[in-house]
Amino acid sequence: MEIRIQNVSMTYPNGKQALKDLNLDLQTPSLIGLLGPNGAGKSTLMKLLVAALMPTSGSIQVDGMPLAKTDRLLKAQLGYLPQDFGLFDELTVVQFLDYMVALKGLRDPKTAIQEVIRAVNLEEKAKAKIRTLSGGQRQRVGIAQALLGNPPFLIFDEPTVGLDPEERIHFRNLFSQTAQNRLVLLSTHIIEDVQSVCDQLVVIDHGRILFTGTPAQLIQAAVGHVGVFWEREVTQGQGLHITSRVNTSQGIRCRAVADTLPAYAQPEEPSLEDAYLYLILQEAIQ
Amino acid sequence: MKTIQLFPLELRRLLQSRLTWLIVLLTVLSPLAGLILYKPASASTMLSIYLANPALAGGVGGGILFGLLTVFELDRAHRSRVAVLMDAVVSPLCMALVRLLALLAAALLTLIVTMLVWFPISWVLIGSVFGGTDYVLAYLLFMGLALPLSILAAASAYQMTRRADLSLVLFAAFAGLSLTIWTDHWQLCWLNPSVWALSDDFSNFRIFRSVAYMRLTWLAALAGIWTLSYLCVRQYGKGLLGSLARNMRQVYRPMISLLLLTCSGTAYAVQPMVDHSNPDESVMSFYDLPYLEGILCSGRTAQVYPNTTAGTVTGRATYQFQNTSGQAQTVAFGIQPGYTISSVQANGANVPFSVGDYQEYNEVMLEVTVPAEEAVELAVEYSGFPQENRNLSTMQGAAEISTEYLCLENAALAPRLLNVLPDEGMYPATVEVILPSSMMVIPFGTNEAEIVAEHEDGTSTWRYEDNGVGGILYAGDYIRQDIQTDGITIQFYYGRKHQAVMEEAGAVNAVKTVVDYCTEHYGPLSFSTGGTLKLIQSRVSGGGYASNGASLLDEADFTAANLRDSSKGAIPGEVMIHELVHQWWGLGNMFDSFDNTNPWSAEGLTVYTTYRIVKELYDEEYAQKHYVEQWQQAVDDYYLNFYVRNTEYLAGLPEEEQLQISNSLAYVRQYCEMPLKILKAQELVGGEEAMDQILNSLFNRELNWSYPYLTYQEFLDACGLTEEDLTLV
Repeated sequence: MEIRIQNVSMTYPNGKQALKDLNLDLQTPSLIGLLGPNGAGKSTLMKLLVAALMPTSGSIQVDGMPLAKTDRLLKAQLGYLPQDFGLFDELTVVQFLDYMVALKGLRDPKTAIQEVIRAVNLEEKAKAKIRTLSGGQRQRVGIAQALLGNPPFLIFDEPTVGLDPEERIHFRNLFSQTAQNRLVLLSTHIIEDVQSVCDQLVVIDHGRILFTGTPAQLIQAAVGHVGVFWEREVTQGQGLHITSRVNTSQGIRCRAVADTLPAYAQPEEPSLEDAYLYLILQEAIQ
Repeated sequence: MKTIQLFPLELRRLLQSRLTWLIVLLTVLSPLAGLILYKPASASTMLSIYLANPALAGGVGGGILFGLLTVFELDRAHRSRVAVLMDAVVSPLCMALVRLLALLAAALLTLIVTMLVWFPISWVLIGSVFGGTDYVLAYLLFMGLALPLSILAAASAYQMTRRADLSLVLFAAFAGLSLTIWTDHWQLCWLNPSVWALSDDFSNFRIFRSVAYMRLTWLAALAGIWTLSYLCVRQYGKGLLGSLARNMRQVYRPMISLLLLTCSGTAYAVQPMVDHSNPDESVMSFYDLPYLEGILCSGRTAQVYPNTTAGTVTGRATYQFQNTSGQAQTVAFGIQPGYTISSVQANGANVPFSVGDYQEYNEVMLEVTVPAEEAVELAVEYSGFPQENRNLSTMQGAAEISTEYLCLENAALAPRLLNVLPDEGMYPATVEVILPSSMMVIPFGTNEAEIVAEHEDGTSTWRYEDNGVGGILYAGDYIRQDIQTDGITIQFYYGRKHQAVMEEAGAVNAVKTVVDYCTEHYGPLSFSTGGTLKLIQSRVSGGGYASNGASLLDEADFTAANLRDSSKGAIPGEVMIHELVHQWWGLGNMFDSFDNTNPWSAEGLTVYTTYRIVKELYDEEYAQKHYVEQWQQAVDDYYLNFYVRNTEYLAGLPEEEQLQISNSLAYVRQYCEMPLKILKAQELVGGEEAMDQILNSLFNRELNWSYPYLTYQEFLDACGLTEEDLTLV
């Protein structure tokens, strides 16, 4: 599957411009991490990709065909977990998945349901009413419905929200396995989620793409812009963006990104989070 | 294709909801309201009470409940935020259609359950006059079609507004209009059709047709509105107008909506059920037409072919004219507004004719130019579906034509001559009518119909002679019993379905007893000429009338429930006597029926006479116990009634409660207080014999045609008493 986004802009009826002249190519197989601060336009981009919105201008093509004309075809190949969703509380997990299986028109519903229930670790709650589930369990049902039928194109918007650390690791691995022969788009705030599994990153802010490439390329771009220092050494903080403070026996140890590191800062190997923050900082400065 | 696949899934999900089952349960129970609270069918037939009212209540209750369910279900996916998941899989347009189909299927299921539950109950309540066809049609039309209409209306409101609260307000307003402001407009009552009566003994196809027509008109309208609202289903994050503009790109969608709305509008405008008679019934311009000079009518014939399946009539009428004027004349006829004239010929040649637009008293004027020849035979061919008078549009059903019953009156039988005088004072007429052999033809009047031919297709040709420009013809599945009384032979016609009830009530003996007693005490009925009188049980019509040689008995007076009414008689046979006594006290111009709360009505003298007959049949003790003591008890209670003693409090009650109490009090005054007063008058005038003479003189009094009704004052004057003399306390 190949998705080509060309010159896409999206302005909401209230006048807010969510995306500006966006260009992006997505191809199977890949697991793409979509990063960006709140309000950057990530969810808008995802809604455009699932045909929940129509772009104000520009075009989205799926395998060379305009999405506007092939949205039915796209929906047949799509697994989507939105950021904000609900479930039919009066149904059990299996009944709900059965309902979604039927909506998707899958041929072997039992097997499909068993597979996804196993994949999201919900075997024990399979027959429980959805209203009895915890937030994390509901999130897992959401992921399960997206995985139903092994769709070739998966979009997850903040999939690990509400999951405990152990589950987050489990799902990271699951997404990684899933993406081996599919196109997976993963939007998240949590850098760790994408760091370990995504082979491609898209950073978006203020409706514009700031970066597309591999995590390593993003990290490389931040080399020489990440440093550590003692807080007491700080003489002037202009252009310095502190990313972490750690209390130690010798004082507070700070980690920061900057376009030009001050002399008292000792250069450090950047992490993906540092690189991301550096990119955003650069955008803010510009 | 996707819609068909998803339909069972959505239906299953709908049926997994507890709310759905609650709605189903309440809907199944809603006909109960028709037995207790909501009784729009006011006639006292068993089918009106135990079938029409429950089915109508089921329609109103079920309709409102399913409207609420629709809004709840359509809003559910958005309220619970599942829509975002579903929209990513299936088009919102597809889901809107699937949800509608699932709701409609749930409504159908509910209707089936309701019909199964109420079938045995209705059977037991209605008794021997219960009919499966009436039952099925009543529930399908009065109740069943209300459910999809409500679903379509509520779904349209939601799809347009996308707000549950606003949709509920809109739906409530729409239902409220039907239940209040629109109740006088039979075509607008989409939720509560105008049904005032169902016949027990004869068929009800006419009223069923009328309700079906109204429902189908609304079904097309609401389907059209729903299709329009379907175009408003929000897609691609767009608002109402944006979604509408996008969804209209597929042109067939707005075209379907437009087509449905056009069909509905056309059906509304050209409805065939009701005419356009002048609502001002004081205008009688057809009767005021001046008679033509130089032309007379010497006879007429009519061949009438009612189609008992389609409810239509085809006919050919001929008129013999003697035109001595030497010039062409324009002859006017009153014809049934539902009929079309296919040809008019004079002496075998087509002549010009025109049918006017103005309608009055269920007739429209046909004008024909009769040539300047001395002897002219005018043949008029007509056919159509008889329409009912629009001034009675909320009381439809009179134009029933079926294998069980028909009544063709005047212009509905054949064009009625308006402006030509008869030769020798009469319009001799020969009428032939072809009907299924199971039907008996009864001309209303002194004439007898006879079978002149029997046909292989199971029909028979009946013929009878008549005099006059119009005529009334009854036909149906009747039983005829000839009853020999002192002086006259009563031909008693009643519906075959009513046989068991009539036999249980001892109808034949009651007729003989009443006719003998009343003829002896008050004199013969003025319309029992020629030694015979036809007593014809008619389909429920809200009253009866009499003419020379025939009198009508409204079936509503002879229902099993009415015959058990203890205020009219201790046993069904005595109620039968009561109803037959109305032939003397209550028919025609005897009492002014303008004010039904007036204590002086047909009931006082009828109840009193029934008591006298019962006293003669049994003994004084029996009559005292079952009549006089009953009246006395009711009157004592009446004078102790809080609202009688404190009338100012009655005015403070809600209108409906006020009406209920005042009706109940009026009933006591008519059925108990007045007979007691007449009994007191009997004592004061010197006993039964003296009272009989007074009543005889009143019954045979000379009428003042400007106000022919018998008044209380006339009664008091005849007794030589004053109102105070008859005061009971």
